[in-house]
Formats: sequence, structure tokens, C-alpha cells
Amino acid sequence: MKKSYLRRALVFILAGTMALSLMGCGGEKESPSRDTSKEATSGEKTSNEETKKEATTGEQKVIKFMHRFPDEPYNSFIEGKLHEYEASHPDIKFKITSAQNQEYKEKIKVVVGGEDTPDIFFSWVGDFTYRFIRENLILDLTPYFEADPEWKDSLIESQMKQYTTEDGMIYGVPFRLDCKLFFYNADIFEQNDLKVPTTFDELIDVCEKLKAAGITPISFGNMEPWSASHYIGTLNQICVPDDVREKDYKPTSGEFTHPGYVEALEYYQKLLPYMTENPNGVKPDMGRTTFAMGNAGMYYAELIEIPYIKMENPDMKFGMFKFPEIVGAEGNQDILTGVPEGFVVSSKTKYPDECVEFLKWFLGKEVGTEQCQEIGWFNAAKGTTEGLTDQALLDGYNVIMESKAMGAWLDNALYSTVVDEYLTAVSDLTNGDITPKKVMARIQKKAVEAQTLVGAGSTK
Amino acid sequence: MVLVFVYIPVIFNFVYSFFRLSSYSAGKTFVGFDNYRRFFSDDIFPIMLKNNFLYCIISLIVQVGFGTIVALLLESKLAVKFKNVYRNIYYLPALISITAVGLMFTFIYEPNMGFINSVLKVFDLPTRSWLGDSKLAIYCIIAMSQWQFTGYITLLMVVAFQNISTDYIEAAEIDGAGPIRRALNIQLPLAKEQLLVCIIITVIGAFKLYTEVYATTSGGPGNSSQVLGLYLYQQAFLHDDLGMAAVAGVFIFAITVVLSIIQIKITGSGKD
Repeated sequence: MKKSYLRRALVFILAGTMALSLMGCGGEKESPSRDTSKEATSGEKTSNEETKKEATTGEQKVIKFMHRFPDEPYNSFIEGKLHEYEASHPDIKFKITSAQNQEYKEKIKVVVGGEDTPDIFFSWVGDFTYRFIRENLILDLTPYFEADPEWKDSLIESQMKQYTTEDGMIYGVPFRLDCKLFFYNADIFEQNDLKVPTTFDELIDVCEKLKAAGITPISFGNMEPWSASHYIGTLNQICVPDDVREKDYKPTSGEFTHPGYVEALEYYQKLLPYMTENPNGVKPDMGRTTFAMGNAGMYYAELIEIPYIKMENPDMKFGMFKFPEIVGAEGNQDILTGVPEGFVVSSKTKYPDECVEFLKWFLGKEVGTEQCQEIGWFNAAKGTTEGLTDQALLDGYNVIMESKAMGAWLDNALYSTVVDEYLTAVSDLTNGDITPKKVMARIQKKAVEAQTLVGAGSTK
Repeated sequence: MVLVFVYIPVIFNFVYSFFRLSSYSAGKTFVGFDNYRRFFSDDIFPIMLKNNFLYCIISLIVQVGFGTIVALLLESKLAVKFKNVYRNIYYLPALISITAVGLMFTFIYEPNMGFINSVLKVFDLPTRSWLGDSKLAIYCIIAMSQWQFTGYITLLMVVAFQNISTDYIEAAEIDGAGPIRRALNIQLPLAKEQLLVCIIITVIGAFKLYTEVYATTSGGPGNSSQVLGLYLYQQAFLHDDLGMAAVAGVFIFAITVVLSIIQIKITGSGKD
């Protein structure tokens, strides 16, 4: 009897819940109108239907713009420029979204495949963007450059080359130039009577002297393991011949069997005793702060970190030098690690011409000149340094201009599963848990697997 | 509703585990059991399993075990005066966002300037790399979680103990039962259902573990603190391999369902 009541009660509750939920669904469907003005102000995404309508009626064109610089002052600079463009082009309206580095990498992969793809979005050089190109998700900018030779000539060729595929497709335009250099504390070097090292042995010698003086020679944080990948990327370029490395970095032909890869890891191991203690427990930005506060002799930094260092310690005197030569190494010593970062246009955009027209201005000389003065980052337009007085920035810029070749960031150049194995194995190597040979054995295994994975599940 | 929002996604997830597909690609390729082969033969698999079980066992001992003892103490005559104060103190960490706690503990564990090593240095004791040490990282994360969630289980158990009629307790007192005997023979058996709920919450939480690891080590150093939940996420959004992520999802689902059924069977829940 009791059971029967309970069962009835349960049936009523379930039926009631289902009826209520169906009513809820129906209400949503039959909603007479949606408050679109609310969406516009809250920064939410505009539906595809709305975009299509705008495209056909010639009303305001909404361009979805996604970037990865939510930090200040970079975010304000970007948004300020976008609003400036809106003011001069009343038919254009931007919908801006942004996310931090790692979050951005994850977010963009989801939105690019969906119906609400950003029209213009940030993307890295290398396999990070190639994966989208393989799926025809990126607009080919080559015809636009061919139609406008003046635009092509206004940009630095060596940097544009980085956003060009092997078969000549231009897929992006740089927003900020970058490279990896050793930054050194000029005061510490002067006090300890040290000279800028030109070879790896001299670098070790400098490290020895700094260590003997009780100073941490190289500040380093590898809690986020991409940090070590910048060392490994550079050392791979120096230790492995170009043709072998280029073949291995392609997901379809990667093998990583050349002994130069093990040598590169061994050179990295030689530097570890001179780096910040327990680097796997230290965040990369903590490594930069340690250097900026004058607590370390050197720091292997990106050019774009200059504004951060100046912000943390405006009085600091520092110089820069390229990763020193390794005598007798088989690879290419001339390559400067680092490639520009920039924007690409979605192939799904309703407004390809408008997007390209905007990029010509946003990534051109006029904005570029203001950009390096206001936020300390250079774009790829020629002649942007006019009026710039910051000597550290100018020195860094000149290193890029004089460089014979640039090398892609290892963590963006390789296929995702291979780079993940590289990063985790190097993290183990940093802790002394594994040997360089074992690291490469793990990577070789992943590289073989990647050959079968790449392209599988794609439309091609 | 339940069918649409709970069971259909579970079924779809199972179907997707037999495909190779990514979030930005329209195509998908049927690969049979290849994703399962890759998942179970991956060197990370035993590491993840070990870490999830470690988290589960330690959480059961600390969160459920210690949390229940604290709840008993809070409901005893010892804590009559400051009962509410203690309850709030224990529960407070559970209210903080896991990401914020992760960030806070990253600073606490920082090897050169962090709180723990600074204290150790004052007493001239050897310091460690904590989150940067392959052997310690997962224990550091587990310790952080115990700090945060023990109070939550304590609160759930306090509610259960409060629902026990005082007649039973008073009768036991008259019969001469001491506080330990009262706890073992009266309070715990009568709060059995709630204890089971706490155990199930803890076990399921242990196998869904994600944010704590993501906010501190992201599975590192190397893969030493990798767990199933984070692996699932990384396969989906880092390696664009939704098929492998689905396999991890199926595995987590299977393991939590099996463990929950075992617990219900052992404790004989619902029979009384």
C-alpha cells in the first residue's frame, strides 16, 4: 500500500517535471522577439542570420575580431584602434573578444570550426595555422597582395615570408615582430668584469664566474614548459641541419632520428646547473621578474618582453646578445629564434574585402608607428621606428632586421601531440628524471604516430 | 528532458569514441577500437590511473574520515560554545573558487620565494621544489584539495548528525555509553545514508578531478601529475582529438558507475 502511494507520487513528480520542462522549451521557441540591442552592448556574439541579413541589405557590417592580448596596455591599444576605424568607417562595427595565450589556443580551435567563426583572428605561424589551412578555414591573401603591390612593398619581406606557406599562399599579416635573445644585466656584467659571450663555451665561462660571485647566472622558470621549448628550438636549429629539421618538423614526415637532437638536449643540460634552482616549480614570468629586479645575470627573453621589464624596473640597464655559437655544430648558427605573430582572415567571412582593407590600415605603417611608441611592439610595416627613442627597442628591432633567417617557435611549429611529448619530456629532463636519449626515443615514437594521425578525420 | 540532456550525450560520446574527429573539421573517420588501443597503451595511462586512485584514497581518508570525526566533535558537548564559529571556519575554504585556490597554492609552493620554503629556511630545514618535483607534485595538489573540501564533507555530516533524534543519544547516555561508543553505535549507523552520499561524492570527484591540476601544474612536471579529467580536456582542445577525449570520457563514466554500484551494494543502501 505504502509502495503504491510512493510509486504514484513518483509518477506525478516525473510527469510534472517533464510537463514543466516542455513548457519551458515551448516558451523559448515562441518568444516573440529577442533583445538584440542587449546582445550588442554585452559583447555577445551576433547570430549568423543577423550577419547574413546585414550583408544583403547593406546595413552596418559586423566584423568579429578575436585577439589574445587582454592585458593592459595592449588591450586598450587594440580596442582603441578598432574604435578609431569604426569612427572613420561608419558601415563597420567590430565585435571584439579576447583570451589569454593558453586559453586562446583552446578557444580558437572550437570557434573556428563553428558557425560563429571570428572574421579576423590572431594565429601563430607554423602548424598551429596549417591545421586550419588544411581544412580550408583561412582566407588566401595572395590575390589581395598581387592586386595591391604597394601594400606588399610596404611590409618587411623577411617577416611576411613567415606567414607564407611553402606553395606560396600568404595566410596572415604580422602584428608584432619577435625574436629570442639573451638579455644581460649591464651593471652585473660591469661589476664582475664580464664580456658578452660569443660562443657557448664563453657563455658557460660567464655563468661560472657569476655563480662564483653568488649571482644566479640565468633566470629561468619552466612551470609552463613552453619556456624550455625556446631553448630547445634554438639548440635544434644550431645542432641539426636545416633540411633534416624541416623534414622532421612536418607532421607527415617527422622522424627525429638525427643525433643533433640529442646533442641539443645535452647542451640544454649543460646550462641547467647555472639556471634558477628548481625551474619546474617557477612560473616563466617569475623568471623574468627575478631578472628585472636585478637578481640574475642573464635571461633568455623575447623581444616583446622589453616593455614588461621596463615596467617592472624602469631604471634597469640591460643589453642583448644572440644565442652564442656552438663551435662545430652541424646545424645553422645564423637562424634567429622567433617569428612574428599576426592576424588571419577566416575563409567563412561575409566581408573578405572589408577585412583585408582593415588589416592594411591596422597592420600598416601609420598604426605601426604609434604601436611601437605606445606599447613597444613593432609590426611588419617598413619605417615604423621614426621618432622612436628607446634604445633597447631599437637594438632589438635592428637584430631582427639584420637577421639572415628566422626560426619558428618549437611549440607552434610541431604537430600538437609531438610538441606535447617534447614539452613533457624536456620537463622531465629538467628535473633530471630522464636522459636526452630517452627524451628523443619518446619523441620519435610520437612522431611516427603523428604521421598516421595528421589529416585523419579531416575533410581532406 | 533527462533523456535529452543526460543520456543522449552519453550515448553520442560513446559513438564518437570510435571516430577520429576534431572540433574545427567537418569530416570524421571511423577508426574502430584504435582510439581505445591508443588510450590504454599510452604511457600516461598508468600514471593517470595511479594519480586518480591516490586522490580518491587520500580524499576518502582525510575528507570523509577526518571530516566525519570533525563533524562528530562539532556535534559533541566539547564544542557547544563555539559550534557555529568552528563550522564556518571549516566550511570557508570550500566557498573559494578552485582556480583562485590553485593560484594561491602556486605561490605557497613556489620554491624560491614561496611561503612553505620561506618558513623552512627560517628553521634551517631542507627546502623542496614542491609543484616542480615530479614525485611530490600530485601530493601537493591532493593536499590542497583536502584543505579545501574537508569542511564541505564536515558540514554534510553535521546536518546528518543533527537529524538524529536526541532520544537515541540520551537513551545511550543513560545506559552508560561514552562518546566513542555513542558515535560508533548510534550516530554513525543512523547517518549511514549521508555517509554513503559523501563517499560517492568524493569518489566521483576524484575521477572527475580537473580544475585543481589545471590551475597548478597542468599535469606536470612531465606527466607526473596528469589525471583523467585533464587528459580528456587536453585531447579535445589541445590535440584536436575529440575521439580520444570521448574514450577518456567513456572510461571515467564506466569507472565512476562501477565504483558507485559497488559502494551501494556493499553498504546495502536503501534496504532499511
